[in-house]
Amino acid sequence: MKLDVAGVGKDYLIPVIDSVSFAAEAGEFLCILGPNGCGKTTLLRIIGGIEPATRGRVMLDGQPIVADARHPRRIGVVFQEDRLLPWLSLRDNVALVLVPLGGTVAARVATAERYLKLVGLTGFEHYYPSRVSGGMRQRAAIARALAIEPELLLMDEPFGALDAQNRRIMQTEVRRIWRETGRTILFVTHSIEEAAAIGTTLVMLSARPSRVRELIVNDDATDRPKLVERLNTMIMEEVERQQGTGPPER
Amino acid sequence: MTWRDWTARLHLPTLAVALVILAGWAALSWRYGAFVLPSPLSVLYGLGDILRSGEIWRHTGASLARIAVGFGGAVVAAVLLGLLGFVSRLARGVVADGLAVLNSTSVFVWIVISIIWFGLSNWAPIFTTFMITLPVVASNIVEGVASVDRRLIEMGDVYRLSGWRKFRAIVVPSTLPYLVAGMKVGFGLALKVSVVAEIFGVTSGIGYIMNYSREILATQMVFVWALVMILVMTATDKLVFDTVSRRLTRWR
Repeated sequence: MKLDVAGVGKDYLIPVIDSVSFAAEAGEFLCILGPNGCGKTTLLRIIGGIEPATRGRVMLDGQPIVADARHPRRIGVVFQEDRLLPWLSLRDNVALVLVPLGGTVAARVATAERYLKLVGLTGFEHYYPSRVSGGMRQRAAIARALAIEPELLLMDEPFGALDAQNRRIMQTEVRRIWRETGRTILFVTHSIEEAAAIGTTLVMLSARPSRVRELIVNDDATDRPKLVERLNTMIMEEVERQQGTGPPER
Repeated sequence: MTWRDWTARLHLPTLAVALVILAGWAALSWRYGAFVLPSPLSVLYGLGDILRSGEIWRHTGASLARIAVGFGGAVVAAVLLGLLGFVSRLARGVVADGLAVLNSTSVFVWIVISIIWFGLSNWAPIFTTFMITLPVVASNIVEGVASVDRRLIEMGDVYRLSGWRKFRAIVVPSTLPYLVAGMKVGFGLALKVSVVAEIFGVTSGIGYIMNYSREILATQMVFVWALVMILVMTATDKLVFDTVSRRLTRWR
């Protein structure tokens, strides 16, 4: 699996994304960072084929991803909200997205239960979403995205609605799941600490209309506190630029 | 359970008020005479009479059969209109406007028109019931269809669920509670309206027998049949609609 984002841009009434290019190798954990309103979510939606791009293209293994086309790609998405069907149990929610992949009902249920176990929801399979906490609902949404065995897993600020404690727990969990499954993950966040804690590669976007400001490798050799400080400086500069009070465009 | 729970459960305060009203009723009946206001006891005896003679089933059955056709037809038509509104946003607007017009048409208009069209037959109350309950049920369904969470549909798209699967797994469950709520209100309305329409031209049904009782000066029977109506309404509300809607929203 190789993801290639080439010159992707999006205009609404104004240009939101100017031109963004980067690539991801199989098994990478990419974090997309940037000031609010710079089009992080839009970029993720374009990559997921949910929304069309105005410019540029997204290729997965040399095949273009086109919005509204029934591309045969398996892309799992975890949204900001859990987007579970409230009238289905956690297990049935996961099993539902396996329907297009075929297989017997029993096999789908078994797969759903396996992935619920992976995210630590064993024992809660038959609970309705309203009966469990927000963190558990988001876990179920992650299980659903993983259950289709996606080539690419897109996560759009999935822990934004969680409290600090749950957020920390979920970050560790996602990191563990990533290691265990080896999936390629694209993770959008506006939290610098979160990006530095979980991503292997950080894509720092500039202010609107956004471009890639910097690609940063974040491995075991990275000095985390220093990285966080550097990212903070960058974000502040971009926020100021967006508000028109900062240094002029480079 | 505490004393307070039992009080609430048995509707004790309501019962107390009912007793006071019964006492007042009895006093007024004694003062003005049974022709104007029959006593509570005579109404109770009347109820016993029609239960023994089986008359209660004949007329209640006739009314319910007409409601089944008129209201049942309205529910089917409402579901079809809801589907239309789901398929096309344009159709949804037209349907909503049409329902608003129907909603503001008086019962009496339909009664008169149905007598002109169908004469003195079963179809007059059936048609009236249909026309009055259709907008109530349909506007609920259309509202339900419009309130389907787009974000859930988008989730279905992302996971490449088929159109049919999205309809069954997302649209139907989110619309059903609206349908049941609409049917609950619609059924109550159906009972009230069909009974009025039964005054004209048919020889069975609660509306017919109430009017007949008035004509033969059996005032207590007017009260008896009113009581039957109330019982039928309360029973279906509690036993059918509340049970169904509780089942449908177990997940809440």
